Amino acid sequence: MRRHTRGFHPCGAAREKFFCFLLRTRGSETAAAVLGRQPLPRRRRPLPPQLPTMPVRVVDTATPSSQPSPGQDANPGQPSPPSCSILSAGRCFAGTQNVSSLQKDEAWKVNVRIHGCDLEQGYLCGTMEALNVPLADTPVVTFWEGEIVDAKNNTFFTGKWEASPEDDIRHWSKFPSFLPLLGQVETDGGKLMDLSNYPYIFMRWKEQYFVNVGVDCGLTIAGFYYVCFSCSDGSISGFYYDPNSSPFQKLELKCTNEKNSGFTFSSYELQ
Amino acid sequence: MPATASGGARPEEAAEAPSASTSASVCMGTRPEELAARLAAAGPAAGAGAGCVGAGAGGAEVEHERVRALREIKNQIIGNRTKKLLYLRLGAVPAVVAALASPVSSPAALVQAAAAAGSFACGVDDGARAVLDAGAVGHLTRLLAHPDEKVVDASARALRMIYQSRLAPKFDVNIGKNMDFVLSLLNSENENVTELAATIISHSCESSAEQLSLCSAGVPQKLISLFGGSMNLRDACLDSITAIIRNNRETASRFASMDHGKVFRSVVGLIHDRSPRTRLLTCLCLIALGHASPCHFQDKQIKTKLIMVLLELIEEPGQVGDEAPLALTTLIKDSLELQKQALMTNAVEKLSSHLLANPLETRRAVTILLALSELCSKLEESRSQLMSVEVSTLILEALKHDWADIRVAACSCLKNISRSPKVLSGGRLSCDTVIAPLVQLLCDSSTSVQVAALGAICNIAVNLTPWKTVLLHSGAVSQLVHLSKSMDPTLRLKSVWALRNIMFLLSPKDKDFVVKELTLSTLSSLICDSEHFVQEQTLALVHNLVDGYLESANYVIGEDGMVIDAISRQLNNASAPGVCIQGMFVLANIAAGNELSKEAVMRVILPHRTDCVKPTFVVKFLQSKDKQLRVATLWCLLNLIYPKCDASSGRVVRLQNSGVIPQVKNMINDPCLDCKLRVRMVLEHCVDNADDCFM
Repeated sequence: MRRHTRGFHPCGAAREKFFCFLLRTRGSETAAAVLGRQPLPRRRRPLPPQLPTMPVRVVDTATPSSQPSPGQDANPGQPSPPSCSILSAGRCFAGTQNVSSLQKDEAWKVNVRIHGCDLEQGYLCGTMEALNVPLADTPVVTFWEGEIVDAKNNTFFTGKWEASPEDDIRHWSKFPSFLPLLGQVETDGGKLMDLSNYPYIFMRWKEQYFVNVGVDCGLTIAGFYYVCFSCSDGSISGFYYDPNSSPFQKLELKCTNEKNSGFTFSSYELQ
Repeated sequence: MPATASGGARPEEAAEAPSASTSASVCMGTRPEELAARLAAAGPAAGAGAGCVGAGAGGAEVEHERVRALREIKNQIIGNRTKKLLYLRLGAVPAVVAALASPVSSPAALVQAAAAAGSFACGVDDGARAVLDAGAVGHLTRLLAHPDEKVVDASARALRMIYQSRLAPKFDVNIGKNMDFVLSLLNSENENVTELAATIISHSCESSAEQLSLCSAGVPQKLISLFGGSMNLRDACLDSITAIIRNNRETASRFASMDHGKVFRSVVGLIHDRSPRTRLLTCLCLIALGHASPCHFQDKQIKTKLIMVLLELIEEPGQVGDEAPLALTTLIKDSLELQKQALMTNAVEKLSSHLLANPLETRRAVTILLALSELCSKLEESRSQLMSVEVSTLILEALKHDWADIRVAACSCLKNISRSPKVLSGGRLSCDTVIAPLVQLLCDSSTSVQVAALGAICNIAVNLTPWKTVLLHSGAVSQLVHLSKSMDPTLRLKSVWALRNIMFLLSPKDKDFVVKELTLSTLSSLICDSEHFVQEQTLALVHNLVDGYLESANYVIGEDGMVIDAISRQLNNASAPGVCIQGMFVLANIAAGNELSKEAVMRVILPHRTDCVKPTFVVKFLQSKDKQLRVATLWCLLNLIYPKCDASSGRVVRLQNSGVIPQVKNMINDPCLDCKLRVRMVLEHCVDNADDCFM
């Protein structure tokens, strides 16, 4: 959810050394560029029966793939991510955020509620509540907005919030479900992928403001989360990223709308 | 033209400047009653009785008196609404039109009578109605062929004013020789006559058949060729072209391609014209073209230019400044891209400052509020800007304004500002200062205000903040329940919609409060409403009621099963997918409850029938092309066989025997990922519950 301020976890200086990740070079770009120029038909291949599967790449012959650009250079012609009935407004999730450091093991209980979800625009928002935050008298609630990686509105490359493509790859790679996509993402940010039949939805959640406490509450919302949502069971994994914060704070949430006797639903509709 | 206490002459009337009265009018009575009497006394009958015009000194005198009376009346009524109404009461219009009808009227009398008739019709509906009822159109049309050019001019101007009234009859060019008549007018050497033709087209051309006929007859080319005439003529031609291409892809496309795009470019050139009215009409023409045939109007630069021109035009006085915000609204409606463009040109800021600079009780304030509302329909940044300026206070004042149009526009603004989960999460609109006046408007005497207020309440009702009780304690629920029983289907729909949103994530205690206000019998009636949109929103309300409050399932399955029976009827008979989807989510939520609830749902989906021929609607829903309906149905099935227990195993067997589970098995490769995942979950639960029931 949020990091301790520098005073609490002064480990930012060691970050570069700690995460000396060996990134793949752009060597594979050449092959991708050649592939991108092939006059292949624009169609989806049938999915193999086993899940998860590799997302099918749709080659857009009108869009050269030889210049994969970082950031938000998404392809507006791509389909939306899967519409998942568990990822919708009103849905609640509960779990923990591990904020352990070298000095101390620590985890906060976290509740998340989705307030809005617009798959067409690749947007969602909600609140996040941290329950047992040290030095906080009450649970701390923040409002966040999310970007859905859909190759239409957003790509895997963040292009802001002090996140370089290397930071992006490093964090996405923490999710096992991302690994089948890694090669393609390294090539072009995944902007030509069709993720609409992939059973995981990748997102970035950025906290915007504190709902119930002031900015002097001892916490910061400077960073953001890399998030992976499982369409199968509604579980959420995430990693908090802030160059000045404890690295790889892991978020693990499960859908709480599953009661003992089944799943329940609610919905609203704006005019 | 001197302004009068009644507002002054409209531009159309200004051409008919009052002419100097003769000395006779000084010595004779000029009070309206006297003038009306003089006109009646000098009418055609009197003139005819004294002999034909010029036949004798007596006839000439009578005719002279008639001209003087007509001139005086005309001079008094131009730009003076009060005088027009006074003369209408005195019965002056039939006398004026009688002068037009008389074969013995002199050209001077015809000119004055035509001008008076046109003026009566200008800007006053009662005047236009009286002129039309007196048969002025026929006489004036006949006079277009008069040998005296002044009579032709006056008649054409009068007809123009009549055709600018919404009450004027439509002139269908596809009837009889009407097209020939319009073409003959367009081909006239007289600018007043050609301008009349353009006005008739603007007034009458509505159907696509008329638009195509005019296009095929070469009218757009002719109108473009008239651009070189007077400013008024050019404006009339622009307006006509807009009427011919509005909402018609074919005519718009033909117009845009005319002369290899040269015609289109000549219209575009007019957005820089020095006349504000011409600039406005050009913008309206291009907006109509863009909406009718988007592929012919993709130039972003021109669109941006239109936005900038329209924002400048708001500063113009009069009708141009009033209408410019409406044109902007039409331009950016439903277009995220253009709304972004408008935002980049500081549209919110500019419109807001104009709004603050003008009194609320003006048409301009209404149109500006509507433009601001449209700007906030999609963009968070616009919403944020509007909420941060003084205008937000003004919008709240506008909710209490005496003028209904202002109240509607203010509600529209609040509806679009609150059309955002981000704004709703911030909770700035969930306060008494916003909610109290909106709830007040639910009792408004104007239905359009009620509908607009419901739109805003509908959105603000969505419960995303910790401050949930303001709306509930505002009296809104009882008002909404009252409106849900209205005879007006729009009021019923929007009030139920608002109740559905209120019910979203509400606490059990507050849900009980809403149900108590609504009553189960009203709920059952609304589920079976004649409008399927109302049915859909009511069922969504019920599924929100049951979510997170499983005990509330008793409302649905208890009370002699009144509500569940209504739901069952709809699911068995409904054709609208939205109704079926929401109905299945109700059943899914109830099926997530205890054994009693699950069995109640089983009775709905697998009723004991004497005729076992008809398959359950569940199979039909699973075969639906609508993936949301398939998903909702699968969730219901999943909940019915969850968790693993003997009772679930029994339900698996019954679902298997009724053909439901075999249908689920057919969906293992459903093209929708969400469906496919739920199918797997259902089948896994089947295996867990009854290993040998279907494998």
